[in-house]
Amino acid sequence: MRPALPREFIALHKRNRIMTALAELTAEKGYEATKISDVVKRAAVARKTLYDNFSGKEDVFLAAFDMTVEEAMSRVEESCAAAEDDWEGATEAGLEALLAYVAEQPAMARLFLIEAQSATPAASERYEQTVRRFVEMARRRLPHEEPLPKTLDETVVGGVAWILSQQVRRGKAEEAPELLAELREFVVEQYRAPAKEGAGKHR
Amino acid sequence: MKSLPRGRHGLSREFVARNQLDRLLDSIAESLHEHGYDRTTVSVITAHARVSKSDFYRHFQNKDECFVAAYDDAVERLRREVTDACAGEAGWTERVAAALGAVLAFLAREPARADLLFVEGLRAGPDVYARFQKAVQSFVPALREDAPVPERGSAPGDGVAEAVVGGTASLLSRWILAGESEELEARFPEIAEFALTPYVGSDEARRMAARAA
Repeated sequence: MRPALPREFIALHKRNRIMTALAELTAEKGYEATKISDVVKRAAVARKTLYDNFSGKEDVFLAAFDMTVEEAMSRVEESCAAAEDDWEGATEAGLEALLAYVAEQPAMARLFLIEAQSATPAASERYEQTVRRFVEMARRRLPHEEPLPKTLDETVVGGVAWILSQQVRRGKAEEAPELLAELREFVVEQYRAPAKEGAGKHR
Repeated sequence: MKSLPRGRHGLSREFVARNQLDRLLDSIAESLHEHGYDRTTVSVITAHARVSKSDFYRHFQNKDECFVAAYDDAVERLRREVTDACAGEAGWTERVAAALGAVLAFLAREPARADLLFVEGLRAGPDVYARFQKAVQSFVPALREDAPVPERGSAPGDGVAEAVVGGTASLLSRWILAGESEELEARFPEIAEFALTPYVGSDEARRMAARAA
């Protein structure tokens, strides 16, 4: 009897190799210029293997996007959860996890933060959905004392996404963790409760 | 924009060409806004601009080239409005408020260009997206210039300025996508508060935003 697990393991491994190869090639030359033949060559798999797993280039892209988002989000969630009682600490831990992920996986981070926005309409739709998930996470985890602007979570998430995308675009993904202090202060200051005196005077 | 009189009119060739170009750039922005990218054909653009197709092809090889030119033109118009609005302002806070007010006023007045800049431009592929991000980034040095240092902590760096500018841009694009560009000016206080907070602290930012509104 053949052991089933190793075969599944190999199949999963191949899927991952295909997604990683696409992410790397997209980072190097853009989505448009990346051809299926380049992807199979880089991933060292048969063309048939790619088509057994994916319907085409866009499908690989979207699967890679979903994989990287899930990975990044669960790391952030776990780190935040570890500092549950202290929102400033949780903010720092969450940002630290996100920055570490960007530094560790520059090609994936680029696909997530930059390429997805202009690769295909389905990809930009997926990007938008992801931004909304991060906005919801901010809404859940950060304090919302009156009178904070209603759209603050959106601007903060948009701002963090923008800094990271610029960092990656400049080819400095590996140095992303250096942004921690600045980002932490940026986020925390926006949510700080109003000071006692004079608070609430202006709506 | 008005089309020029037909026939003999004594207008210089450069003037006519410039006028046609302006009409085409207006027209593609409006067509995109009304019909979306796919249904904005060269025929639609030229009909709306009242420019002949052969004149269109004198200016552009195809629709995409016209799109990029309209994008650059819209960025330039926005930049000019912001520069003019800031020119009379001496203080940093006043300058930031004036710039933000000018951006919102421009986008509210020109919903087609708002759409082009913040919605269509983000979907039009990497070349135009690169223009979008370059345009957004160009506001970073201006924001940092003479920026105050907050009471707690040190002077915010480039990262914070990028977050402010990028966060504002992403919010604007969300509102414009939701078809709310004409109500953008009412959003001034919340964006101003967001932009000022890293530099003056949240309490002071709230007061300043309310005052500048």
